[in-house]
Amino acid sequence: MRKILILATSAVLLLAACSDSNDGGTTGTTGAGGGSGGAEAELTVSAASSLTEAFGKIGNAFEAANPGTTVTFNFGPSDGLAGQINEGAPVDVFASASPTWMDSVQDDGPGVTHRADFAQNRLAIIVPADNPAGIENLDDLTEDGVQLVIAAEGVPAGDYAREIFQNAGISKAALANVVSNEEDVKAVITKVISGEADAGIGYVTDVTPDVSDEVTLMPIPDEVNVIATYPIAVVNGSQEADLAQGFVEYVLGDGQQTLAEYGFLPPP
Amino acid sequence: MSLATDSRRSPSTASSPLRRGRIPAGFVVLAALGVALVALPLLGLVLRTPWPRIGEILTSETALTALRLSLIVATTSAAISFVLGFPLAWVLVRGTFPGKTLVRAVVILPLVMPPVVAGVGLLAAFGRRSGLLGSWLYEWFGIQLTFTTAAAVLAATFVSFPLAVLALEAGLRGLDERLEDAAATLGASRWYVLRRVTVPLMGPQIAAALVLSWARALGEFGATITFAGNLQGRTQTLPLAVFEQLQTDTDAAFAVSMLLILLAFAVILALRGRFLR
Amino acid sequence: MTLVVDVTARRGAFEVRAAFEAEVGRTVALLGPNGSGKSTLVSTIAGLLPPVQGTIALDDAVLDDAASRVHVPPERRPIGVVFQDLLLFPHLSATENVAFPLRARGVPKPDARQRASGLLERLGLANRANARPRDLSGGEAQRVALARALVSEPNLLLLDEPLSALDVGARMRVRELIRDELASFPGARVIVTHDPVEASVLAERLVLLEDGKVSQTGTPDEIRAAPRSRYAADLVGVNSFRGILEPLEVGAGLLVTGDGDIVAPWPEGFAGGEVIGLLRPADVTLSLDLPDGSARNVVQGRVTSISVEGDRARVRIASAPPLVAEVTLASVGRLGLRDGVVTWASFKAVEVEILPT
Repeated sequence: MRKILILATSAVLLLAACSDSNDGGTTGTTGAGGGSGGAEAELTVSAASSLTEAFGKIGNAFEAANPGTTVTFNFGPSDGLAGQINEGAPVDVFASASPTWMDSVQDDGPGVTHRADFAQNRLAIIVPADNPAGIENLDDLTEDGVQLVIAAEGVPAGDYAREIFQNAGISKAALANVVSNEEDVKAVITKVISGEADAGIGYVTDVTPDVSDEVTLMPIPDEVNVIATYPIAVVNGSQEADLAQGFVEYVLGDGQQTLAEYGFLPPP
Repeated sequence: MSLATDSRRSPSTASSPLRRGRIPAGFVVLAALGVALVALPLLGLVLRTPWPRIGEILTSETALTALRLSLIVATTSAAISFVLGFPLAWVLVRGTFPGKTLVRAVVILPLVMPPVVAGVGLLAAFGRRSGLLGSWLYEWFGIQLTFTTAAAVLAATFVSFPLAVLALEAGLRGLDERLEDAAATLGASRWYVLRRVTVPLMGPQIAAALVLSWARALGEFGATITFAGNLQGRTQTLPLAVFEQLQTDTDAAFAVSMLLILLAFAVILALRGRFLR
Repeated sequence: MTLVVDVTARRGAFEVRAAFEAEVGRTVALLGPNGSGKSTLVSTIAGLLPPVQGTIALDDAVLDDAASRVHVPPERRPIGVVFQDLLLFPHLSATENVAFPLRARGVPKPDARQRASGLLERLGLANRANARPRDLSGGEAQRVALARALVSEPNLLLLDEPLSALDVGARMRVRELIRDELASFPGARVIVTHDPVEASVLAERLVLLEDGKVSQTGTPDEIRAAPRSRYAADLVGVNSFRGILEPLEVGAGLLVTGDGDIVAPWPEGFAGGEVIGLLRPADVTLSLDLPDGSARNVVQGRVTSISVEGDRARVRIASAPPLVAEVTLASVGRLGLRDGVVTWASFKAVEVEILPT
């Protein structure tokens, strides 16, 4: 039954969200909207995995700017996150790597408020630093025996990759070289870093400072590339609606610089 | 007192010095909780499964492909576990050599390893870039193990092998070796003794080993997705299919999960009467 | 068909040394208390435990030769073994058990089954042919085990404690059966047992085993007539005393045991030391009053038990040392012997046989 699934997911998320209380008094249990500044509050944010590093930093800054607030992130593939929200997971803010999944929450789920696009991202070919298969461009991905890894259908990065192949007219050959459909884009990067894959399609922003030694970016021509639009919104039913709105505004405001640092493009 | 009567099974209503039928109330409560712990998720699954759509979902290409692949992978894995596990169990039970305890610990290790860790370990051994053996295979023979069905089999075998060994060990330990001695004096070669005495007497334990390792192999996820990847028809076993469906079509996820459960149930029931007690 | 055994076998810390022969027509019984090494010898003769020294040969075929590292594995020895615990295969029926040695040697299934059935029938088990071992009675299981050992027509039949697992009723019947089978068995036969009655009934020659060594061999009568060891003496119901023989006078010594002293003859050429003294119960005279004969050994003690055997009675006396006397039933009555009655026991020094150990 739905209720059981809701209970189960809620339990897991609550456990994850329960960090040690900061000094001093705890306000009432979760749900007792502690909105006023200075009171303890917890915010749960589900965000696409490509936002991991950037949002991590943004989260810390937001906490510093709002003492007593704890931001807990739930990173994963946008389709999976939307699914959880639609099943009733108590998430306050949802940041998706594609409008599709925000639409899903809006139309099939609890609904959203304060929806806005907050960033854009480009995709690129990502290869191991030593580029064993000698990939230079999209066409090289169609060579026989290339071990290509992309995200699964439904995951924004996966849908975008397929769209790019279609744009470039190499769908059949490229898809034939796909050896694995990963559950989120971070897993794609991992396979490339480990050297097991010859190449992967991921976001430009996925080449973070941590991994820049181990992978190389090969740009995709603009005419076939996809520009991913990232929407963010407050999820209806949030117990911290005010705080959630505050977070959304932060991302749209001060957070923009951080996003730019990590390679994201400004929203359209 | 004749030995034959000793070995005669005592009547099922064996009188016991303990009072029969008196189970402590506390035990009943705890036992019920235990059953509930296992039964509730199953019940939830049954209730949540979209029964009207189930035919359509389970005959979809995704489901059928995953089913076929799962059966192949699990069965191959169980076979490998048995072929390698039986001699290993033999050596562990009847052999004496320095470091036996260590060997045993190593063999049992995959059982307590988180599956993803197991996947990472498999990469470290068989990955074409960083793998101990894998890089050599790739450099010299151009053989890449990752992203293949063989990798799925390897991952499934790695995590289920200890189960087979443990069950077979228990079986061997429970054997009366003197029966094998007797068989020898009656003219049976070592191979004949193995075939006609040892293995038949170990029937239940061999069945348990096969079933346990097959079931574990069927359900393997973490190591598979880390080491073998996820590609329909090649490495996407049923658990991986469920996971992928969970992101997009939860109904389908439940349906395929139900399929897995039913598969497992079928095997357990088929063997319950004869072997698993 | 002669079995010649001359080996030292070792199992763990225990070592047994034995040499004997078993020919067709003369069943040999290895007789000894538990722990004497019988089971070890059975394992060695069966080929399960190679001897550390010595040889085993069956006619011309050398089965074991420790010196030249010859060891014929058990499956290639033409032997049939009936084990103490029978060791019938629990997953096979009686017929399948009996057919096993034939099938193991490649005899086709129908032939094997036919021979097995025939043998079971001869042993009176036709109606139990399909029973599992757990459903057989003690006697039936014993017969199946015997059939299984006989079916391949071995050259040597080895029976390890064949009757020990049976209850008294079954024991007599099975003993007769085994005696008949042995009589008609064309090969060499060795029985291993701790029961002297069993040995005497089933075997023509006894090999007494004690503490890993052969202490005496002979026919049952020979041993009965002249037991050479304490165990042999106990077997045949002879009084035995162990102690140091000290010189007493010319031709005589004092056997000092922990329970009392006995005057006994000094063996010729004996240098002194530990001995065993043997005294037949029939040579002990009981009387109510102090005897006045020339017997050098006179002791007194309470009667602890009286057991009647035919027209004789064996009377146990708690004297120093304890004694067993054999008297007529009439004497028991005349002397008023009952448990607890104090009586005098006397015997001549010359009636004590001294065996240097």
